[in-house]
Amino acid sequence: MIHHLIRAAILTGFAMYIVYVDRTGEMSLYIAPRMELYVKLSALGLYAAAIYQIYAALQKRLGSNEPACGCEHEPSPSVFKNSLIYGLFLFPLMLGFLVPTGTLGSELAAKKGVSLSGIEALERVTPDGGPENGEGKSADPLFPYDEYTEAHAAYGKVLYKQSLITVPEKQYIETLTTLDLYREAFAGKEVEISGFVYREEEMGDNRFAVSRFAMNCCSADALPYGLMIEWPRATDYAQDEWVSVKGKLTTTSYMENEIIVLKAEKLERIEAPASPYVYPDLDFGL
Amino acid sequence: MLRFVFRYGTPSLAAGCLIMIYLIIANRDLPLHVFNEANLQSFKILFISILLEAFPFILLGVLFSALLQVFVTDELIRKFTPKHPVAGVLFGALLGILFPLCECGMIPVVRRLIRKGMPAYIGIVYLLAGPIVNPVVYTSTFMAFRTTPEMAYSRMGLAFAVSVVVGFLLYRFMRGNPLKASPSRGGADSHHHHDHHHNHHHHHNGREHDHSLRGKGIRSRFASVLSHSSDEFFEMGKYFIFGALLTALIQTAVERSTLEAYAGQPIFAYLFMMAFAFLLSICSTSDAFIASSFSGMFDYGPLLAFLVFGPMIDLKNTLMLLSTFRAKIVLAVIALTAVLTFAGAWLTEVLL
Repeated sequence: MIHHLIRAAILTGFAMYIVYVDRTGEMSLYIAPRMELYVKLSALGLYAAAIYQIYAALQKRLGSNEPACGCEHEPSPSVFKNSLIYGLFLFPLMLGFLVPTGTLGSELAAKKGVSLSGIEALERVTPDGGPENGEGKSADPLFPYDEYTEAHAAYGKVLYKQSLITVPEKQYIETLTTLDLYREAFAGKEVEISGFVYREEEMGDNRFAVSRFAMNCCSADALPYGLMIEWPRATDYAQDEWVSVKGKLTTTSYMENEIIVLKAEKLERIEAPASPYVYPDLDFGL
Repeated sequence: MLRFVFRYGTPSLAAGCLIMIYLIIANRDLPLHVFNEANLQSFKILFISILLEAFPFILLGVLFSALLQVFVTDELIRKFTPKHPVAGVLFGALLGILFPLCECGMIPVVRRLIRKGMPAYIGIVYLLAGPIVNPVVYTSTFMAFRTTPEMAYSRMGLAFAVSVVVGFLLYRFMRGNPLKASPSRGGADSHHHHDHHHNHHHHHNGREHDHSLRGKGIRSRFASVLSHSSDEFFEMGKYFIFGALLTALIQTAVERSTLEAYAGQPIFAYLFMMAFAFLLSICSTSDAFIASSFSGMFDYGPLLAFLVFGPMIDLKNTLMLLSTFRAKIVLAVIALTAVLTFAGAWLTEVLL
């Protein structure tokens, strides 16, 4: 009977925790918006299971037969072992309720490795076609593309017409990738971007990266993307401070790679946004 | 040796958790400098996000398997088992589509099926393919790899291929009963609290009837479904929370560059991801989310190896297999699966 009650408490705890993160708005820290509904529904399932456990405990108390089939998984008789197992379940609950929640920042970004050139899996297509002439390749002088970068080329043409290119929250990664893929076309363009300050040792005193975490499903799969900023007094800005930067796009060499860099003209400290993450735009290119 | 690890591994890690709970309550920092404020935050967010993300899928899996336990009899399954080996192997590999049991719930069911007369090779094929080739896992893989849907297809395909090949080899070379000899049926059953098939109560009174389908009201069947699902939730939950904990720790503490040392070397990347899948022992309904978190680090092939090998063979089910099947068979199946998965994932990477 005690097991049923402990289990009921743990199940209720998890259900309460889901309600708690939803009410406090912390949900968006953990999972992507399109998954939120499923998680909320699972809270209902957890409640149902908790209610059943209480019901089973009462049945035992009243001495009636096992409602199921008499094939109850008997928990281990060892108190020590049981408390360890239940401890394992309590641990995330304690962690969730008792430890104040922060956000992901530079510390984790450094572990995961910030991508300074958008989605690295996409390869640049050179205007002359390169060695292989794949299908659907276009020899547009400014925006050459293949089957994988077609959407980026189209998006690039739209961006190209703008006098100031603002990297939006909705298509953060896509915009960065496009700027990187067509760096020659965008050289000298004015670009505005916001994010948290991320620094690597090799960047020196006059550079840092403005970054955001991009999340697919949950924050465990979040990967940081950023844009390198050049600013003479870069050390004025601390790690993880949120900034908005405006400047001219150019290229530089960093760790033996050519990457895009923003020669900053105006820097501003800003409030951290409500959701620290950006999400890949699944409709991009459709 | 493995028994030793199983017996003391989980409790000692749980002890670690209790220590951490104490530290949280006492509001003390851990004595290691890696556990600074920022890392604790990252750890918390990663750990809880993996749990929240997986809850819907775990609950769905647990509920489904409980419905099967209560509403589908083994008799029925036996009636539909084909006699021809080719049909049998294909049947075993595709059975998961009809009966998507999780790997934890699978071993006792398969043992029961074999005892009831299903050919052993079909049972083992089901054991391997079932946790992957099923709609629940397909959906969650598809969700986790939204931007690369090929992953879901090739995961299904490779798992199917590997299990079919293992099935044919077992059919050709396996002789005798692969199940461990047990002194008595009742004695063997009592070792495995997983084994809670309704039918076994009725063998000793010599009457073949199944109370899970007859003689019981809808209310008690409903209660039985809830009972099985919440039991299974706790049984799987402890492995899953532990896996999430390990994953969050690894992601928080290990620098990407350290893993890149493995990721960079093609063969090591495969072996590393397969070993990782083995150790994590994550349920197949949720491992896709963990794999996708590594997608920035590892190539397609190693991730596929992780997704195919993990659900088929992992630490917790090896222990369960050893308690059910003869050690020689278990080792042969593990070796075959590992080699075939490695080769298959590598081929897929090269061909795609």
